[in-house]
Amino acid sequence: MGKLSGLQRAVLSLYRQCIRALRDKPNDTRENFRLFVREEFRKHINVDRKDFSTIEYLLRRGHRQLDIYQDPGIRNILR
Amino acid sequence: MFRTALLRSARQAIRSAPRCQTPIARPVVRSSLFQSKHITPAAYFQAVRCYSAHAGLAKEEVEGRIMDLLKNFDKVTDTSKLNGQSHFHNDLGLDSLDTVEVVMAIEEEFSIEIPDKEADAIHSVKQAVDYILAQPDAH
Repeated sequence: MGKLSGLQRAVLSLYRQCIRALRDKPNDTRENFRLFVREEFRKHINVDRKDFSTIEYLLRRGHRQLDIYQDPGIRNILR
Repeated sequence: MFRTALLRSARQAIRSAPRCQTPIARPVVRSSLFQSKHITPAAYFQAVRCYSAHAGLAKEEVEGRIMDLLKNFDKVTDTSKLNGQSHFHNDLGLDSLDTVEVVMAIEEEFSIEIPDKEADAIHSVKQAVDYILAQPDAH
């Protein structure tokens, strides 16, 4: 793990925000959210680090999803 | 505040008292001297507020809590390499996403918020321990 690029740091920052958002979820369903977050990020773990447009698209999508799932009304998630 | 002012005026009264030597003033002076003896200890105790002492975190305790946290982290499969010097990636086989999870768990454990920039710089148990020890509000 060498020095991270700006885009890589943006991805980690989004991951961090997602994990912080988990804390507001109910105790009994938090694990479901955690597994969902992990899976969503790992799904695209093999995207080439130089494939900027894909990464940027995924980042935007991730932020949008975070916005949606952060709503306190969403109490559980089924995968 | 009010007490301090009261005390100060009482002290000034004592100090200025010997200058006016009129017999009438004497008993007044004496009584204020008498009073100030009582006020002084009371004000003294008032001034010392007893907040619970900040114990601070010992290095061993911080290290122990971080190690426990890593032991319970499902991505750490080989705990034999887990010690105070372990590197998250080289020793524990965690990738950058796992490292983020570990650092976030540390954040939660010590009730602090680690800014992105500093969080990105934590790659080993030792770095995490040093960071926590440098945080006055970690507990």
